[in-house]
Amino acid sequence: MPDLLELTGVSASYGRIQALSEVSLRVPEGRVVALLGSNGAGKTTTLNTISRLVPVTSGSIRFDGKPIESWASHQVVEGGVVQVPEGREVFQDMSVCENLEMGAYRRKDAAAIRADFERVLNYFPKLRERLQQRAGTLSGGEQQMLLLGRALMARPRLLLLDEPSLGLSPVLVQQIFGIIDRLNKDGLTILLVEQNAAVALTCSSYAYILENGEMALQGASDQLRRDDSVRRTYLGH
Amino acid sequence: MRDKTAAVLPRSEADLPGLSARSSVPLGRVALLALAVATLALLPFAVTGYVLYIANLLLVFVVLCLGLHLVIGESGQFALAHAAFYGIGIYTSGLAGNAFGWPFPLSMLLAGLVAGAVGVVIGAVALRMRDIYLALATFAFGEAMQWVFLNWDQVTGGPNGLRISPARLGAFEILSDRQAYPVVVVMTVLMLLLTILISRSRLGRSFRAVRESEVAAMAMGIPVRRAKITAFGLSAFFAGVAGSMFATFSTYIHPDSLGFQTTILVLTMIVVGGLGSIAGAVGGAIVFGLISEFLRQTPSYQEIIYGLILIGFMMYAPRGLFAFIRDKVGGGTRG
Repeated sequence: MPDLLELTGVSASYGRIQALSEVSLRVPEGRVVALLGSNGAGKTTTLNTISRLVPVTSGSIRFDGKPIESWASHQVVEGGVVQVPEGREVFQDMSVCENLEMGAYRRKDAAAIRADFERVLNYFPKLRERLQQRAGTLSGGEQQMLLLGRALMARPRLLLLDEPSLGLSPVLVQQIFGIIDRLNKDGLTILLVEQNAAVALTCSSYAYILENGEMALQGASDQLRRDDSVRRTYLGH
Repeated sequence: MRDKTAAVLPRSEADLPGLSARSSVPLGRVALLALAVATLALLPFAVTGYVLYIANLLLVFVVLCLGLHLVIGESGQFALAHAAFYGIGIYTSGLAGNAFGWPFPLSMLLAGLVAGAVGVVIGAVALRMRDIYLALATFAFGEAMQWVFLNWDQVTGGPNGLRISPARLGAFEILSDRQAYPVVVVMTVLMLLLTILISRSRLGRSFRAVRESEVAAMAMGIPVRRAKITAFGLSAFFAGVAGSMFATFSTYIHPDSLGFQTTILVLTMIVVGGLGSIAGAVGGAIVFGLISEFLRQTPSYQEIIYGLILIGFMMYAPRGLFAFIRDKVGGGTRG
């Protein structure tokens, strides 16, 4: 499998504080790759450098073979890299339908948008029932589904998922990851940031672990799941 | 600018089967619109020149409110320099008429463009900040502009104010409020239509997305900074045009009326009408404009009463007068 995304020696900083140093990772096409680590390890910053929301101080980011580290954030979205931000960042005062519409903001192919709209509602039948409801009134699980649906409306080739399990009950986490699994089986490539290492290592094929902005460990997910130090630090048993 | 997605996805409840059809709402709207058109058309035949002066002034405030609505209501950016752009509009069109004898449609356009251009420049600087810092920065700019109006004697007349010569178009001169009224009405309607157009466009949707969540807007590929600056520039353009409308029926302008009080007055209007809604901006301008005209008799209490109204609305009717009435009377709440 060719790599859809490749980070080589990427560093980034907020002012004087170094947030990432020399981070390298690869996401092969058609796979789910997990990026793990504790709070403040630099997981979200990594996603933000890919989405071009945080500037890269050195290193290169290649998407589909093209260097994108100097692109603007909206070009990245147009190129097919779509981030699902952490924490219920739905457009609260807009209806569910308008939220989905916003997902297709940069697209102009009306017929395909209509088709994707149907496809998204098939993934998330609950959203169909609530199309005219204000997004802010949805439950936590429904908002997470709306976030995924909205991102799909941008027709991503690579989905950057930031903590989809955050604040959800175990049943809902199961449900969300069931959908992530389905999306991947349907051909979507996913880079998944998670604190819930147990779930992330189950649904991904390969994983990286960040510590203090540096890549500490990497390996096939099922191997990491059995690794003693990983079990102690990230799986809690 | 109009994009295709809007037409593609089901927009209203009518497009989706199984949802209640509230046929009474559009009917009420049509009736209201008819009433508004009739009032505007018949007013000059029924009232004195003074009442027409008030009507002109209210319509200027409608346009000011539409402008502030774009940046605060629609985009969620607390910009508090509206009176400055209004002033730039008044002086620009006044001076274009005084010094060069420009026809008023041209000086109106110029007023809007100059104010809009200044707005874009200020916006590019101020919109690096947010919330209270943005409010403070724009407030400071507003105060600075008032100082400029007051001290740039050669151009603005400084503390003596500026006499504005009658607006003209060829041989036609506007010498009274009655003559200015049709011009002011037409401009108000144009600016209202422009607001609706913007609000329904892709641009309008990007404004609301920025208001709701900058992070999500960025994730959807909306150039957030550009959207904010555009909103700020458009808002200033509206204020500039409102200023030029004022210049068609007013013969005199003094910097005193171009300070923070005026900005707060406009802000109060859109809050009273209901932040985020165009109808609220228009209704708020008219209702609150009338209230403040009555309060003119008691200037010493004016500011206190404004303050009380603002606080009262934020506490008891945060979505504005009209939403409040609709909820109380209709019993229905919008989802």
